[in-house]
Amino acid sequence: MADHKILGDTASKTPNRTTGGWLNDLTRARSAGPVLADHPAPGTGLSTTAVHAGTHDDPRTGAVGTPIYQASTFVLNEHQYESVEEGFARDRFIYSRYGNPSQWAVQEKLAALEGAESAIVFSSGMAAITSTVLALMDKGAHVVASSDLYGGTFNLFNQEFPTLGMSCTMVDSYDFDAIEAAIQPNTQMMYFEAITNPLLKIIDIPRLAEIAKRRNVRLVVDATFAPPIAMRTLEHGVDVVIHSASKYLNGHSDLIAGVAAGPRKLIDMIWPRLLNYGGSLDPHACFLLERGLKTLAVRMRAHEESATALAHYLESHPKVKKVFYPFLKSHPDYATAKRLLKNGTGNITFVIEGGDAAALRLVNALRIPKQATSLGGVESLISLPFNTSQATFTTRQRADVGIDPGCVRLSVGIEDAADLIADFDHALSAIYAEKENAYA
Amino acid sequence: MRNSIPTSALSEFVNEVASSPEEALMDYGIEINWESGTRSRTETKSMKVGPHQVSRSFTWKADEPRQLMGNNHGPNPQELLLSGLGSCMMVSFIAGATAEGIQLESVKIDFDATLDLRGFMGLGTNATVGFPEIRYKIYVTGDATPEQFAELHRKSVSHSPNAQTILNPVGLTGEIISTQIQG
Repeated sequence: MADHKILGDTASKTPNRTTGGWLNDLTRARSAGPVLADHPAPGTGLSTTAVHAGTHDDPRTGAVGTPIYQASTFVLNEHQYESVEEGFARDRFIYSRYGNPSQWAVQEKLAALEGAESAIVFSSGMAAITSTVLALMDKGAHVVASSDLYGGTFNLFNQEFPTLGMSCTMVDSYDFDAIEAAIQPNTQMMYFEAITNPLLKIIDIPRLAEIAKRRNVRLVVDATFAPPIAMRTLEHGVDVVIHSASKYLNGHSDLIAGVAAGPRKLIDMIWPRLLNYGGSLDPHACFLLERGLKTLAVRMRAHEESATALAHYLESHPKVKKVFYPFLKSHPDYATAKRLLKNGTGNITFVIEGGDAAALRLVNALRIPKQATSLGGVESLISLPFNTSQATFTTRQRADVGIDPGCVRLSVGIEDAADLIADFDHALSAIYAEKENAYA
Repeated sequence: MRNSIPTSALSEFVNEVASSPEEALMDYGIEINWESGTRSRTETKSMKVGPHQVSRSFTWKADEPRQLMGNNHGPNPQELLLSGLGSCMMVSFIAGATAEGIQLESVKIDFDATLDLRGFMGLGTNATVGFPEIRYKIYVTGDATPEQFAELHRKSVSHSPNAQTILNPVGLTGEIISTQIQG
């Protein structure tokens, strides 16, 4: 065994064997990771962590930054064969659907940012959600979820669950009595989103965690709208945190990825579903995500700065009826936001006079924000619920979930606040002037 | 995977339980409803694995042969008892073999037991109501010596919860909640 190098996590060893021994003689215990090499964290701040955690220089050439390991497969020796036989193949490099150094580097960075023992990256946020949910649910199991879930997750629960013999009860995420009352003997999971879309409700996660622990169910939270600079979700008692990494984590609107992070025990249960469902992330996408993450802290500060200034401007505009930004005192969850969020984000939702027709004129008149779905990129993105995320709803159904006519979803990028305000000022003036002329 | 059990995960679970004993507490339950005659239907209740609720949606039926006033629609309670005993001994045997590093190819346990129904019928003989003896043979092929298999057999029985429940006195604490109907 000594002839070949261990290709993988060198701290991970095969369980010992004792002839005539029993289960209590097994000594291998769980540990954080897997990690490629022992690289001590150079600091504890989240900016330092974002830059350095998981990232390693090329040992052969000294090239700075993690190389891109663009390989589907790895040269095998007895250590990899042993890991398969003894059930710790996650800790060795075998095949890139199982694990790849490019994946490990970005997983280690994400785990460090979330304060997690372990993380897995996926080929999309939905791959992360599907693998996590199905890892933690058994035949006949039930989930209690928020009634304003992201559409993709709603479709998983609504369309796929019945086929798999699973079920879901959706409840108002503010109504803790209803959440608790929905828990059944076969409930295995509570599934919520840290900040909802599009009304940006800030969910009281510590309260949900208290219910989940007392009722012996797992709490899984999609924190796509609240990346770790804004909130370290696991610190509030969540079992597994999930992100669409295509949004703030990557931050450049140039890849699709997802991540699940949490205790090694649970992430090791999710890993076989990564293998079975096949949602592995390509090494080049891992490199892009790792590079994007290095600037997460400065990007989040810039998102907050520009979004806060623009939210204040919009709130003062006579044609803007409502503005939802968690750090505005007028936001219904301002107190919860101040308690749970360490940093703001770029998401603002607002309602303008003149309904959806006026909103459509506005997005066409703006020059900086791109008219596109998604969020969390360095460039501002803008879209309307009535013709995108809630397009299948009637006006009445949209009103029932709090989406009024004229509702606009905005993800503020890191552009200068002054430019964004000038752009909105110009566009708002133009569209209402047009309308007044039209009726003159 | 040895014997299709991830040894590393088994070892990690054992070591987790050593430091967090609450993870070792399993709460089980079943509910049995009388269907007709000697036939009844069993349904599993939710289980708790440590402090975590787990869905268990399994049902099965038990019946007696026609000779015993049943309709032979399912295994009878004695067969289910032997099945519960033998399946538990099997888990214990496989887990123990895996922990030791023994590679198994096949394992079969063959059970026989004789019941004298005069005890059940109250016919006033010396016959015991339950099984006086349960006989079994384990047929195993694998890479261990006969001595190692003999030791594994001994250890697997001494660590099998169901074998130990049958071998030792156990409290059977029940109550009856009755409703009298008007004839």
